[in-house]
Amino acid sequence: MSPILAISGLSKQFGGVTALAGVDLAVEEGEILGVVGPNGSGKTTLFNVVTGVHKPSGGSVSFRGRDITGLKPHAISHAGIGYTFQQAMAFAGLRVLENVQIAGEHVRVNAGANHPWPTPLALLDFVGLRALADERAGVLPFGSLRLLGLALALASQPALLLLDEPAAGLNDRETVALVGLVRQLPGHGITVCVIDHDMKLMQMLCRRLAVLDFGSKIADGPTGAVLADPKVLDVYLGGDL
Amino acid sequence: MKTGNALRSLLPVLVILALIAAVPLFSPSNRFLSLAISAGTNVIALYGLSVLFGQTGILSMGHAALVGVGAYAAAILARDFGVGFWTALPVAALASAVFAMIVGIPSLRVGGHHFVIMTFAFGQLLAIVLTNGGDYTGAATGLDIAGPVTLFGADMSDLTRYYLMVVAFVTAAAVASWAIIHSSYGRTLRAIRENEKLAASLGINVGRHKIGAFVVSGVFAGISGVLLAYFLGHISPSQFSSFPSIYLALMVMIGGARLIEGPLAGGILVAFLPEVLNLDPVQSRIVYGVCLIAVIMLLPDGLIGGIVRALRVAFSGKPKQEAERDAAPSEARQ
Repeated sequence: MSPILAISGLSKQFGGVTALAGVDLAVEEGEILGVVGPNGSGKTTLFNVVTGVHKPSGGSVSFRGRDITGLKPHAISHAGIGYTFQQAMAFAGLRVLENVQIAGEHVRVNAGANHPWPTPLALLDFVGLRALADERAGVLPFGSLRLLGLALALASQPALLLLDEPAAGLNDRETVALVGLVRQLPGHGITVCVIDHDMKLMQMLCRRLAVLDFGSKIADGPTGAVLADPKVLDVYLGGDL
Repeated sequence: MKTGNALRSLLPVLVILALIAAVPLFSPSNRFLSLAISAGTNVIALYGLSVLFGQTGILSMGHAALVGVGAYAAAILARDFGVGFWTALPVAALASAVFAMIVGIPSLRVGGHHFVIMTFAFGQLLAIVLTNGGDYTGAATGLDIAGPVTLFGADMSDLTRYYLMVVAFVTAAAVASWAIIHSSYGRTLRAIRENEKLAASLGINVGRHKIGAFVVSGVFAGISGVLLAYFLGHISPSQFSSFPSIYLALMVMIGGARLIEGPLAGGILVAFLPEVLNLDPVQSRIVYGVCLIAVIMLLPDGLIGGIVRALRVAFSGKPKQEAERDAAPSEARQ
């Protein structure tokens, strides 16, 4: 089966700095893929180039067989790719329910009857925020804000969901809750790609890992094998694995 | 989504406007009516500005230029084509909308403060073009517009009738602005105001919607311009240059851009304050400046927003939480 997202030879230079040096990566439909790497390895740049925040310097990205290289962020969303940001993000001045309503109003590729959460309230139920529906997003505690960020991305009915450090700033209990939610997504027809440097989280979430270092992919395979790879161990030497 | 609640938010404005419409019963002076009519034309433009600034979070410092496009369109249409008030209204509104689009497309590519400067520059540019437009624009002297405004055969030029007609237009502008705020379109604009990056990630075409909001505000401004031109009977470039633009921005900020009562309160206050306090133009500029600084520092939601909050504190006695909530959106803006 062809991958849902195929990244080939993707590169990005910021002035003289090479953030991505020709990355090839395939995300298979229905999996939860982890992209790991130390700080500055190009993980977030990879996300930003795929989601249209930055234009790539070279290479191509195709989603479900369609070339989406260099599309603007809203067009990437219309194509069926949802994403969350490293900084927990919501429309702080608006109510939680209104946040989710907005997120569901600009869907182009409709999941139709297959959409697991037909209403904004159903989605708030899923992430456990229904009780806070009438609160302003800005007053939510950080953990709830992260869940709202996830709900917003899901409301846009993505076929592929990209999560950028989804558990950053969460305590252990909140992290476990988040992992529980993300693990359910493939069952709802949503493929997931997570980037993070938290190996504990990645081991909980992903069966397959890709490792970036200095803008290049240095390993890609089953989680256990990748974590035993000497090259990967070398990159993380001194870090806690 | 709760239509009942939404309707309730419109009610206070409608009641106030009904009271305002009843003013002629108390035989006010012509001076009062004239002031009120020009305040009313401003309020119409302010309702457009509240969509742009209050909902979308974009400040225009050249809004009087859009009013000017409407006013000049009406005057030129009357002079060259013999077109009357009611036909001029939609045409002038369209002209202002097109002008807004022409200004908006290059200006909204640059974010935040740069947009403010661009609108300011375009406003000045328009005034210069009008001043140097020779006979076509009447140069610095401007243009006369001498057509009677009739409605169902009745002459509306009489001050009281014109006043009532302006009140009707203000009401329409308030209802239109309210309808935008409570539509999914309004929600989209607020999403852009709160967080452009997140909005784009959810499929919102941020650039196009910003230009759209500017165009919408242009429609309000164009209508305001036609009403102003027919009321004054004479228009000149200085009426639409930078100072009037700054006043419009000031009015919407003083009144409160996010609340439906805000434009009405701002327009009325700024028009009548110098009158009530008996200030000369220089003094009133100083007072406006002080007011603006005070509002920005103390009342981020404008005077009406401040009053609403004060009442809420007085009646429910939970000031802290409310204060935190109100502080939240400004923190999130980048």
